Amino acid sequence: MVKKHSKFSSRLIDLLKTQIGNITGAIEREGRTLFGGSNNLMSADEISDFSIEFFQLLLALLESKDPLDDASPQFHALEMFFNNLSHQILVRGGRVEDLVRFNQFMQRAMIDALESDQQEDSGQKTTAQDFDELKTILLFLSSTFNELNLAVFQAYLEEKESTIHAQEAELRETATPITEIWDGVLTLPIIGTLDSSRTMLIMEALLNRIAQDRATAVVMDLTGVKNIDSQVSHHLIQMMRAVQLMGAEAILTGIRPEIARALTSLNIDLGNVTTRASLSDGLKEAFRRMGIQVSHKAV
Amino acid sequence: MSVSGLHLTAIGHGTLLLEPSFSLDIGSGGTALEEIIRRLQRVSATRLYYDLAELAIIEPLYYNWLNALGRACRTVNVRMICIHMQPTAAFALSRYMEQMPAFETALDVDEWNRETR
Repeated sequence: MVKKHSKFSSRLIDLLKTQIGNITGAIEREGRTLFGGSNNLMSADEISDFSIEFFQLLLALLESKDPLDDASPQFHALEMFFNNLSHQILVRGGRVEDLVRFNQFMQRAMIDALESDQQEDSGQKTTAQDFDELKTILLFLSSTFNELNLAVFQAYLEEKESTIHAQEAELRETATPITEIWDGVLTLPIIGTLDSSRTMLIMEALLNRIAQDRATAVVMDLTGVKNIDSQVSHHLIQMMRAVQLMGAEAILTGIRPEIARALTSLNIDLGNVTTRASLSDGLKEAFRRMGIQVSHKAV
Repeated sequence: MSVSGLHLTAIGHGTLLLEPSFSLDIGSGGTALEEIIRRLQRVSATRLYYDLAELAIIEPLYYNWLNALGRACRTVNVRMICIHMQPTAAFALSRYMEQMPAFETALDVDEWNRETR
């Protein structure tokens, strides 16, 4: 079996070496059409470089002990090359469809080169052995480029995942805007669902802000919280305690009737926590404790 | 009697500041606690500030020590106020604390004075 591989691979190696100019030229042209020019995804130099690098990696794979072994270091290197190339193009705004088309084009360029090589030998009669060899070459190209397409899709999924993670982080950041509304007074409107991981993030950000701004009062507004369960209420109490331990006053505002009912049925005692109906009342309470009086200007 | 790691400084009329160093042995069977109460009574103190600036984490053992000291201070009519608690310490402490502690908390001495003025 290995003998057959080495025969087909040596034919492909010869083909690649004799037609290096034609194949890399065609790959470069297609690369420029898909990624260069007005698409502005890669410079002409980059396209030329990756065409050559791809060629070298494919040659290294063919010269390896078993070119059909997709666990070999040579195959892994080729796969990684495609993965990195895909990341590079996707990050710059390229489309996954173009990467797959480019991959298919490279496969076709190989088959075209093989066909023209076969035509040159057309004077000779095709034997069953030649047919078998051609079949092995086509199978090799098909399986290799299928794996490379998978590398492209893997890169696509990784990019999508990292975008989703970045968006989630941004959403978390914007969903918990801690604002110093007055010297030493922080407000934190909580909107949406509170789960353990989000509560931990809010708590961490809030405690650091208390230390950083030397805040003496924190008004936490729950107007945007639609429902609450025992775990969330436990987190809330934990957050209020942590604020108090830092030496700041914690004021809880905007508790909707359904939340109040839920807290009661969950046997949560907010006896040690200052509560006010609205954010505005909470701010007034914070100001009162700080000895600040806000009043209308006398006319 | 001198207790290692115990630094008590008078910072005003009836007010002491306790800055514990890492060598303070909180598990010494109440020796440190007794010494602190003795020093507070000697100067007729009414307030004790406990500086936690150097503690990044307060574990249950240390929390029990703080609570015990807070309760002991109450029995001799002294208010114990923990100051400079680090965000990491407050975060960790709030996770296992069952009830409000036997001591008060403030950002720092100035802030506490301003609040209680």
